[in-house]
Amino acid sequence: MNRIRTIQLGALVLLVALAACAAPTPQIIEKVVEKPVEKIVEKTVVAERTVVVQPTAVPGRDTLVVALARAPSGIDPADHSSREAETVIRNIYDGLVTRDHASGVHMEIAESVKWLDTKTMEIKLRKGVKFHDGSELKADDVIYSFERVFKTNAIEFPQPHTALRKGFLGPFGSADKKDDYTVVVNFTAPWPAGMQMLVHTQIVSKAYVTKVGTKGLIEKPLGTGPFKFVSAKTGFEEVMLERFADYYGGAPTLAPVGKACVSRAVFRVIPENSTRVAALLAGEVDIITEVPAELVGTLQKVPGIQVKTVPGTRPIWMEFNVAQAPFDNPKVRQALNHAVDKDLIIKKVYNGLAKPLAGPLMPANNMADPSLKPYAYDKAKALALLKEAGWAPDASGMLMKDGKPFAFVIDTIDSMRPIAEATATMLRDVGIDASVRVWEYNVVRPKLLARERQAYVGDWGDSTFDPVGHMEAKWHSLVTGSTYGRGNFSGYANKRVDELIKAGETENDPAKRKVLYYEAQKLIYDEAPAIFLILPEAIEAASARVQNWQPASDSRENLHDVCLK
Amino acid sequence: MKAVKILERMLATIPIMFGVAIIVFFFIRLTPGDPVDIMLGRSAAATQREIEQLRQQFHLDEPLHVQLGYFLGDVLRGNLGYSYIRNKPVVELLTERLPATIEMTIGALLISLIIALPIGILSAVRQNSLLDRVSMAGAFLGISMPGFWLGIILILFFAVRLQVLPAQGRLSYDVHLQEITGMYVLDSLLTGNWRALEDSLKHLLLPSITLGAGVAAIIARVLRSSMLEVLRSDYIKLARAKGASEWGVVMKHALRNALIPTVTVVGLQVGVLLGGNMIVETVFSWPGLGRLVVDAIFNRDFPLIQGAVMIYAITFVLTNLVVDILYTYLNPKITL
Repeated sequence: MNRIRTIQLGALVLLVALAACAAPTPQIIEKVVEKPVEKIVEKTVVAERTVVVQPTAVPGRDTLVVALARAPSGIDPADHSSREAETVIRNIYDGLVTRDHASGVHMEIAESVKWLDTKTMEIKLRKGVKFHDGSELKADDVIYSFERVFKTNAIEFPQPHTALRKGFLGPFGSADKKDDYTVVVNFTAPWPAGMQMLVHTQIVSKAYVTKVGTKGLIEKPLGTGPFKFVSAKTGFEEVMLERFADYYGGAPTLAPVGKACVSRAVFRVIPENSTRVAALLAGEVDIITEVPAELVGTLQKVPGIQVKTVPGTRPIWMEFNVAQAPFDNPKVRQALNHAVDKDLIIKKVYNGLAKPLAGPLMPANNMADPSLKPYAYDKAKALALLKEAGWAPDASGMLMKDGKPFAFVIDTIDSMRPIAEATATMLRDVGIDASVRVWEYNVVRPKLLARERQAYVGDWGDSTFDPVGHMEAKWHSLVTGSTYGRGNFSGYANKRVDELIKAGETENDPAKRKVLYYEAQKLIYDEAPAIFLILPEAIEAASARVQNWQPASDSRENLHDVCLK
Repeated sequence: MKAVKILERMLATIPIMFGVAIIVFFFIRLTPGDPVDIMLGRSAAATQREIEQLRQQFHLDEPLHVQLGYFLGDVLRGNLGYSYIRNKPVVELLTERLPATIEMTIGALLISLIIALPIGILSAVRQNSLLDRVSMAGAFLGISMPGFWLGIILILFFAVRLQVLPAQGRLSYDVHLQEITGMYVLDSLLTGNWRALEDSLKHLLLPSITLGAGVAAIIARVLRSSMLEVLRSDYIKLARAKGASEWGVVMKHALRNALIPTVTVVGLQVGVLLGGNMIVETVFSWPGLGRLVVDAIFNRDFPLIQGAVMIYAITFVLTNLVVDILYTYLNPKITL
């Protein structure tokens, strides 16, 4: 009897445990956060933005804690290669100019930036901009910062090497000092993207870096930004900053102007998505980046949590290997563009937080052609185009040509798996046997460039908002040994497009540039070397204490503006 | 005599380490993916000349046997090389991260022993009782629960719902601690910093439970079965017959003998704990060796992977040595 009861009890425990296993994490979060909120006050901060204020876990705390998904790849403004690094760096260092995702480029340390001719840029500096050690920023610092980024082997630590940010200075030639507050930059070729690219170069102190070296600069960064560096934990797992009392105020055309609002800011790395969300709910952090789309609905229901989205800068395509049958036929590529229901993908995979792409550039790029519209989802048209290319369905509905079925493998990386699977499902719906294989990016990339694969679903960052880097990398034909076509995974090569891209890089007249890039986009759109899929939004969340916070398209967390209630 | 034997055993680990070093050296170079490519970032605009320069700098342009020569030469001089990605000597990176991992491993081991020892003993003494059934069902659950799942459930319950324990990290950002060993609990004790002690223990608890749960389950099961076997042997009957108390029989006569297989399993589990660290460290954003290694593998940071695997190997070999030494105490008939 006793034994039977024991077995029953054991079974019950097991059943409860299994039931718990079956429940997906979001549901569990939903259950846990059903907590009565003691006091909710509505407060209007700016005309159109309403913020809910809630008592917090740590009342009165004046330190803003931001959780990043990955550790910054470095902290030297000349020598890093990740967006997280740029986020931390740009709170410590200011640039000559900065960017607001809605209104474009604004002067920051520079008072004015003027093109004297197509290859010469004159930069006038503000007076009284101080580094964190109290010294004043002058022309020599700007010239030194440029040279540090551009000159071969200018970074001496750990071994002499060229800065990773060199590409952002384009055809830089030299920089001359006209007086203490004027720098003239000579480019070796016209550089119309110069202003957009300048946003990504931050200014260091010549005297300080010459004294402490690169190693010293990494150990104790020193800039002119709104925050001073305090400390960093190993591998930049945590970086602590404090308000710089002598800050000049930042871009005068971007409100609020003045010193940073919070006294301290901490960046903490929390790689696991669920933990990042939990840390926000527990009140341990104030802002979290990279919120997974599937958790947005849950978070939005939590009182005292604000979720904000902004159009991202990482468009996603499925590139075809255009050198290989059946994708060597533009009709087939166009047909597949019509066979994929982007709106359904956006609704189901991205929770509505993405936009369909209408061609090779994201809509926010300053040279994107607004007249191009996304390929419409039209199964009949897709089948008709495929028929013209010789593909007809057999009795089971599978597309066949010369007795062979239309079958191919879509390669992708883990983060893109859901969208790749969704695309494959839609292609199967028109009779194409598409399957998905997941790779590590660094393994599949050389295979793609060697044209060994059939199709690839991936993204490519476009955070400069200028077509220069993007068109050159993605849609120019591959030129081995150069930067052209380094991300061209389709093998697409059109001489006219190459000419247009090259011409656009050096055309200074914006109207003429538009004509060049619009023609290139139209050609790429029509020839469809890829299924132009979607542009996901960047999603961030914050506790209700966080005021005047806005996620940025280029993933930069601008903490200067943020206040804590 | 024993000291000489221990020294001998320790010296014997040197060739093992070299074997490990060479195997690791070749295996990671068999994995596809180019470190220089990764170093330059996903969409870096670097020219072929710059790429070649980086390759030269890290000797990646030389034949494998030459690279191995450089590596072994460096290892002999106690230099594990320079991390490609992190611009720091590997030895420095490892010593910075190792204390966090050791702290969590010790925490997990302690938690698992605290859970497993009483359960293992009681369920053997009261075989087939309700307690035995429930605890063995619990052990079954402990083994089957994936670490990341348990971790997230614990975070949701203790950090989000009850808000009594932190969800992530090793120390709150506003608690200051002077680092001596890098193990925060120990450092707090050494410096008499009670606030840091409380804070670091709170941070340590959930990761230790997550990591230790599976190990506790295995230890409990092994201890139970070896206790059952020992309790059935003749000398236990004799001990009971001569009138020893039940407590004395179990703790003194049975447990000591039942511990030998248990200690072996605990030793082997240290390897499991070190491996499990990689997942638990990610869930709790614990800045330890596990996360460093995972990042290093994705970045094809060869020197760092080599160094970290050697650390794992040394730890494993030394743990086995400690287990062997413990045998001699548990059963004096066994010699090293």
